Amino acid sequence: MQKLHQVTLTILFLFSIVSVSSADTADKEARTLLSKLILGEKNKQESALDALDGNGSKIIETFYKVGRVGDVYKSANNDGSFTVFYKDGEFYYNLLEGNQVENPGNLEKVRLGRKAKKKLSKLADFVYIYSPIDQERIDAVYKFGGSQKPEFVELIRTNIDKQPNERLKQAFQEALEISLLKNGAHEEKMNALSYLGDIGSSLSIDFINTLKIDSETLLNETSEEAVKLEATALIEASDESLEKIEAAEKTKELVQSVFFGVNRGSVLLLVSFGLAITFGLMGVINMAHGEFIAIGGYTTYVIQGWFAAAYGVDSAAYQWYFVAAVPAAFMVSAFFGIIMERGVIQFLYSRPLESLLATWGISMVLQQLIRLYFGAANVAVASPTWLEGNLNVGGYTMAYNRLAVVPVAITVLLITALLMKKTNWGLHIRATMQNRLMASSIGIRSSRVNMMTFAFGSGLAGLAGAFLSQFDNVGPMMGQTYIVDSFMVVVVGGVGNLIGAALSSLGIGVVGQLLEFFYGSVMGKVGILFGIILFLQVKPGGLFTSKSRSLED
Amino acid sequence: MKNTFKALFAAATVAATSTSVQAEEEVNVGVLHSLSGTMAISETSLRDVLLFAFDEINANGGVLGKKINPVVVDGASDWPLFAEKAEELLTVQKTAVTFGCWTSVSRKSVLPVYEKNNGLLFYPVQYEGEEQSKNIFYTAEAVGQQAIPAVDFLLEEGVKKFYLIGTDYVYPQTTNLVLHEYLLSKGVPEENIGGGIRKDSAGKVTSAGNYTPFGHSDFQQIVADIKKFSASGDAAVINTINGDANVPFFKEFAASGLKSEDCPVVSFSLSEDEFRSLPAKQLVGHLGCWTYFMSIDSPANKKFKADFQAWLKKTSVAGVVKDGRVTCSPMVLSYNGVYLWKKAVEKAGSFDVDKVRAALQSGISFDGPGGKVTSQKNHHVTKNVFIGETLENGQFEIIETIPNVVGEPFLKGTFQKK
Repeated sequence: MQKLHQVTLTILFLFSIVSVSSADTADKEARTLLSKLILGEKNKQESALDALDGNGSKIIETFYKVGRVGDVYKSANNDGSFTVFYKDGEFYYNLLEGNQVENPGNLEKVRLGRKAKKKLSKLADFVYIYSPIDQERIDAVYKFGGSQKPEFVELIRTNIDKQPNERLKQAFQEALEISLLKNGAHEEKMNALSYLGDIGSSLSIDFINTLKIDSETLLNETSEEAVKLEATALIEASDESLEKIEAAEKTKELVQSVFFGVNRGSVLLLVSFGLAITFGLMGVINMAHGEFIAIGGYTTYVIQGWFAAAYGVDSAAYQWYFVAAVPAAFMVSAFFGIIMERGVIQFLYSRPLESLLATWGISMVLQQLIRLYFGAANVAVASPTWLEGNLNVGGYTMAYNRLAVVPVAITVLLITALLMKKTNWGLHIRATMQNRLMASSIGIRSSRVNMMTFAFGSGLAGLAGAFLSQFDNVGPMMGQTYIVDSFMVVVVGGVGNLIGAALSSLGIGVVGQLLEFFYGSVMGKVGILFGIILFLQVKPGGLFTSKSRSLED
Repeated sequence: MKNTFKALFAAATVAATSTSVQAEEEVNVGVLHSLSGTMAISETSLRDVLLFAFDEINANGGVLGKKINPVVVDGASDWPLFAEKAEELLTVQKTAVTFGCWTSVSRKSVLPVYEKNNGLLFYPVQYEGEEQSKNIFYTAEAVGQQAIPAVDFLLEEGVKKFYLIGTDYVYPQTTNLVLHEYLLSKGVPEENIGGGIRKDSAGKVTSAGNYTPFGHSDFQQIVADIKKFSASGDAAVINTINGDANVPFFKEFAASGLKSEDCPVVSFSLSEDEFRSLPAKQLVGHLGCWTYFMSIDSPANKKFKADFQAWLKKTSVAGVVKDGRVTCSPMVLSYNGVYLWKKAVEKAGSFDVDKVRAALQSGISFDGPGGKVTSQKNHHVTKNVFIGETLENGQFEIIETIPNVVGEPFLKGTFQKK
């Protein structure tokens, strides 16, 4: 009876292959198997997945993506059986049928075992290798190549020519050569070594080392002359290509450090630009600058909470919270800036040392207020999905959430420059900053200009806080970590010079990253502080000293 | 108003009864944690759980018939101040025992004070070992109860390359030196240990791993290095970064496209409490190793969690955050310490430090929320070790339990290279 049953099944199965395309079969098979796996025992999940090797259905990747963050559920039916659902974004789907459904209710979370997840991630690579996103394809093919399993050689080789652009073709070729280091014949190994050396493939260093060690062992063990000859050739070729790769690697890492430095410089610029205005132009030693940054960070956190409450964290609208948070952070910090300027600073323009003490006090009050309202612990701000991930150009990678800072810093710089040089308001600001009494005597409302300038500077700090929240902590002490850096930038740049601030943040960023690259992050930090002290010995006025005939200067 | 009245009433009662009776009914117990400054984020939770434990004990009749009178002092994340406060607790307040300290440097700074005055301190936070004072009991995880089991687990999973990263101070530096020796003893070649190794002129390893300053926020270089290191697969990161620098680290890690399936990170300083301020979705699948997890499914843990939440609701202590509270290993180790001390006092029949120490050294057991713990002769504690995988809700799913691991502080130099 059972035999008969199996035969019918086989016939049905064969029939289905004929009737529907093989992709559909694979999809069906994957869905059936994954459902079974979810309803079965947890410790058998991994072995069940073996049947999906090379399946490559899109559902496997989706299932992996939602499964690893706990978005797979089972729901009991009336007859005691279970249906498996998963949640992708804000919508629920029936795993077996593949259709989108209303929230079925009565859901019970099913977790994937650790090994099953690992296995799924490997299976998902069969999907990623055909992904429309170049980077996903590249990551996947590197994993296939790096596994050095003979069964993947053909998979990679046949796909090289199908790649639409040079970058992908090169990645596939590189992966293939890495795999051939183990799986190829002698000639292929030699070719692979010279190819990997020529392109300076940093990925292959470990694999070449392994090949070298294996060849050395072989050389010691064998007595056949031919084998010995081959092994010696391989060792020599390995050394040669390792040397080439290391040389290429050094330059590449140096260039990458400079990129990182530009990025760090942009962060510093954004963080310190507000201070360059309030301290540099206005002469207010604003020790509460850091707290305005924190206010920006917390504004982002609050807006995120509002969007989560209004639209739900899985909705598409939630992803845009950051767009709303950036102007809000600017406004809120500017508002606090106005309060502070009207309440305290305006009485202290002629007494800079007292402004230092007063703002220091305000900074402590603000910190404690944040603690009282939000608690002493840091708060979690999540990046929207469009700021997640990284950009990869020519092997240099940089995270989007950091990259976003670069154009913003440049925009802020340009807008401020235009504001200062091309508008009436800018003219008034410059006049007031040069001489408050003289400006007001020719009819400029200097008190109003002071207030608006201070608000603008504080708002920029808030803006910086919003961007910092994407890759750093948001907490009561957040401002303290940046206040020293900010003053450093402004002093090195030359007090009162905005272009100087821009150049000094770029310089500090790049030099800092290069030092970190050579000596590690602790010595990098020490080195940059030491360098600044020496620099200020030589040029006490900073990069650009404002020349003035005034006796005070 | 009502409280003021109560206080007045209480004061009047105290005045009415003789002070000597009052002194006999209570025993002063010190709580020495940072309630302000950078460490307040972590240490305030320990103050809370200690006060909870004292209330629990007082409600059940106290210790040897005496009620515990907590004397809470603030170390303010200022290490010399810790020593001053410890002196005050011992000489002015005459505390029978102190529960406190988080950072190793604060413990090192109070150690001479406790040795000079023959006091007793219970230390609850994972630490680097290499220390054993007759006046301190370490309920904390020693390296052998956290780092070593975690590495064993990773080796079993087939990890071949280890990248060491930490904050630049005594705990990560010492732990990584021990791990470096341990990995070599397990046959992991030196080139498979990432992060950089520094040797002195005699060739002795003085530092293993990549270190960052406290509060470091730019992990671009380090994550790029890890990405390169893990490109050939089978790699893992051993993370001893302390405090909030973990946030930028994990954000950078996730943004670089690294996933826990490709390169898991096992962290020793991230517990449920720290997850309150981390985007947990980015940490899914990474590992933690502690001697307690909030997710432990046992009647003792359920009762502990429920009682603690109930206590939080009704407590009137100023500054206790009542919402969204979790329990974590350092909290439970503090709690265990209180009960170990209580049992030792009861066994010794006295609050005298020498007698209590002798009782503790003879082996006192307590069935805590994380299972049974037993004090050892070397002032450390035998306990269960758990390895957990991070879930998207900031909790850990326990994937391995290693029962009754003995606490051994002196591990450096004990592993021989194969």
